[in-house]
Amino acid sequence: MSIGTEPGPIGATTDLLSVEDLVVHFPIRRGLVVERTVGHVRAVDGVSLGIAAGRTYGLVGESGCGKTTFGRAVLRLEEPTGGRVRLDGTEVTGLRSDRLRRFRSRMQMVFQDPLGSLNPRHNVDMLLAEPLKVHGVGSRSEQRRLAIETLDAVGLPSSVLERYPHEFSGGQRQRLGIARALMLRPDLVICDEPVSALDVSIQAQVMNLLEQLQGEFNLTYLVIAHDLAVVRHMSDRVGVMYLGNLVEEADSEAIYDDPRHPYTKALLSAVPQPDPEAEADRERIILKGDLPSPADPPSGCRFRTRCPWAADICAEEVPVWREVGDGHRVACHFDL
Amino acid sequence: MALLEVEDLRVSFGETRAVDGVDFQVDEGQVVGLVGESGCGKSVTSLAIMGLLPRRAASVAGAARYDGVDLFSLPRGEMRRLRGPDLAMVFQDPLSSLNPVVQIGRQITEVLERHRGMRGEAARKEAVHLLDRVGIPDPARRLGEYPHQLSGGMRQRVLIAISVACAPRLLIADEPTTALDVTIQAQILELLKDLVDSEGTALLMITHDLGVVAGLCDEVNVLYSGRVVESAPARDLFARPTHPYTVGLLNSIPRLDLPIHEPLRPIRGSIADVIGWNDGCAFAPRCDRVAEECVAGEPPLIGAAHMHRCVRAEEVA
Amino acid sequence: MTPAKIEKLERLVEAGAQARTAESGSLWRQSFRRLRRSPMAIAGGAIVGVFVLVAVLGPWIAPYDPTAQRWGDEVFLNRNVFPGPRAENWFGLDHLGRDMFSRMIVGARQTLLVGVVATLIGFAAGAAVGGTAAAAGTFGGRWGQRIEAVIMRAVDVALSIPMLLLALSVAALLGPSLTTVMIAVGVAQIPIFARLLRGSMLAQAHSDYVLAAISLGVPKGRIVISHIFPNSLGPVIVQATLVLATAIIEAAALSYLGLGNPDPGNPEWGTMLADAQRFLSGAPQLAIYPAVGIIVTALGFTLLGEAMRESLDPRLRRQG
Repeated sequence: MSIGTEPGPIGATTDLLSVEDLVVHFPIRRGLVVERTVGHVRAVDGVSLGIAAGRTYGLVGESGCGKTTFGRAVLRLEEPTGGRVRLDGTEVTGLRSDRLRRFRSRMQMVFQDPLGSLNPRHNVDMLLAEPLKVHGVGSRSEQRRLAIETLDAVGLPSSVLERYPHEFSGGQRQRLGIARALMLRPDLVICDEPVSALDVSIQAQVMNLLEQLQGEFNLTYLVIAHDLAVVRHMSDRVGVMYLGNLVEEADSEAIYDDPRHPYTKALLSAVPQPDPEAEADRERIILKGDLPSPADPPSGCRFRTRCPWAADICAEEVPVWREVGDGHRVACHFDL
Repeated sequence: MALLEVEDLRVSFGETRAVDGVDFQVDEGQVVGLVGESGCGKSVTSLAIMGLLPRRAASVAGAARYDGVDLFSLPRGEMRRLRGPDLAMVFQDPLSSLNPVVQIGRQITEVLERHRGMRGEAARKEAVHLLDRVGIPDPARRLGEYPHQLSGGMRQRVLIAISVACAPRLLIADEPTTALDVTIQAQILELLKDLVDSEGTALLMITHDLGVVAGLCDEVNVLYSGRVVESAPARDLFARPTHPYTVGLLNSIPRLDLPIHEPLRPIRGSIADVIGWNDGCAFAPRCDRVAEECVAGEPPLIGAAHMHRCVRAEEVA
Repeated sequence: MTPAKIEKLERLVEAGAQARTAESGSLWRQSFRRLRRSPMAIAGGAIVGVFVLVAVLGPWIAPYDPTAQRWGDEVFLNRNVFPGPRAENWFGLDHLGRDMFSRMIVGARQTLLVGVVATLIGFAAGAAVGGTAAAAGTFGGRWGQRIEAVIMRAVDVALSIPMLLLALSVAALLGPSLTTVMIAVGVAQIPIFARLLRGSMLAQAHSDYVLAAISLGVPKGRIVISHIFPNSLGPVIVQATLVLATAIIEAAALSYLGLGNPDPGNPEWGTMLADAQRFLSGAPQLAIYPAVGIIVTALGFTLLGEAMRESLDPRLRRQG
């Protein structure tokens, strides 16, 4: 989604959002009377990335890779175990209760399940006015005007104000979810699987809408999705996550044209395309087995248990980041 | 003669018409796709064929001829005997399709006992063979495990193993990979393809994913609002989509094989918006090309090998 | 295209763009609409409606004063003579020569009062306990979780005490009276309501819309009050209706055991049943009237509660 500004220098200090070595571990507790911690689920295990203002960063990975937890930890909806998150110079990870609550107006979230994320007993008016109320924005009539304005921006008429979430179709509900996220005019919007619960024909409407709103409201997006085509379409820059780690990061075009990490290669080759001719003679990398448990990740490179190119070194050493092109970095021992 | 021939299938739940005159056929060893979005009637069609719709709630009309025998006029007992050795089905959610309190091995041998008369050690051996066949590592040990101990992909493999235990002539797969990750989906699709190629099983693939259809199917039927709106050999359909709905669907999906940031051209509105619309073409309220003749009456399915249900197809193309 | 059809098409597209109209209104209103279609709700509602009407209008529709021993000279206890139903006394006379029909009608009020007040006590106190536990456990950090654990263990202990025993202890403490019965039955319901509301609130606390509220910066207290609590009430309201039925039976049982209203002047079904046991062999009808009254009323509330459970069911709610 490259509306507006030209791409800036990658990893520059002008990043609106910068995440450094973010770690989220969930303790595994056992015991009936006295609970003790018997281990940790390493949901996110040291992820760093930066997003320039007005751009879209796509975070892609399969279920269990920690992408959702990462998004929530950035917004402090999940408490990070370690690392730093900075938004426009403010260290989000250092904010304490009430300051954090007030700071939330600058970073918002769009959820996967549009129905589940809307309180079923609140009508649209209440849904949209609530963020304004709790942040003390405007009078009642101004709140209503803002609500109508935002509804208009997401393509819904003001007549829906009195309606309840269950009265809308899936696509309309997602529009409501987006409208609510925009009510406080945030800088950063994290979209967690924004279209995966929707029908194909509706997905495109919502993607186009998000694209249009980015220009209109000056938004910076972090798009989290499992669908590589969706991420490619929406993002300027893409990071691929596997088992709590980022394994490859590059500009959208580079990562899809020239994937360097075996996992990225396998992911890309696994997506079926609506083109029988291409499908017939496509080379597929079929990965062995399933995702290992994030409570007990493999030593060295975490992908090695499923990697077709795995060698001895992969079990012994954790691969370090290598620059393989302009802003294209990969965490793999081999130059594939 | 076609292995399965569905003719003018109509299913309604009270006032709601879920399937509204669907025709298609599946030949021996062929892979046929039923593709459409939620609410298009694709799953109801498959359940109707399998005789799995609740009899009190659903009224089924039309015919589904398997090997020339109308499945809808078969007594229940006969139908039950067909399920397994002739017709088998794989569902989207493998966890709820497996009995949670029965070991994997027992669930497979049960089918082998009932339909192939195998007992004891012979059944056990065949179960191990089947699990190995669907690519489950260490199959002998897996026999004693319960469904919750397996991952989603493994469960789907077990389900496929159970379905192919009797070497059915027709396998109906209802969104078998929708709940799975893309790398696991690739494994399962590969497995299905392999079954079709090596055993000559015919496959009716029900999915919303045009990519899955393109990679797997010989023939494709596009469903919209309970009707087939386009039906063609897969290569033909993707090369020359004719019905505006098919075109709209193809324009709606971001693709990895097209230039980056290619704009998407979605279909306007949603199917939920036009409930109660029954004048002429069901797609008319969402169609860009709508004209007077579209609402004059329901357009018929026209064409020979490449059929479509659009009266303006020629003018637009 | 004919103008009429173009118009219809436009209208449909327009209606679609606005929202679906099939099931409109808030969830409460929608549930109520479903409720009205349920035969179980209609039957239960009819029974409860008649019962409430009688309870409210009792003194005005009763043909005689329920406490007046007008026909005392027609009853002979030692010879087991209790005049049965007749033209002037539809349900016959009781052991003191009072009109049974009038006593039943006037007694409905006390019975309803006991049920409603007992349930309200259980509901209010239980909701306070369970709500506090859930709120503390969800948003109170480590200390909150400890508070929740202590509260819930106490509730578990209370739950393990047989309800009748609990009610009897309260009654023994306060002495026999109608208030005693209400408090006793109500207190016995507290742990049930507390558990139910806490469970329901915890389930809601993990929903996406609560996460959305947190991400919007809604304060914790407001999230509990305006998001979690209203969405957790459904099962509790159903339970309250069902508890009303058991409360009436419980109250009757306590009255029967002699812990109810000692004042014979003010009729109440449970007390009437207790009085009737002395004459069970000679005049079983004296027990049958209040017993049937209690059973039918309890059945009415149970039917209504079950119908409400169905109409509030979240699985149905998700449809559409």
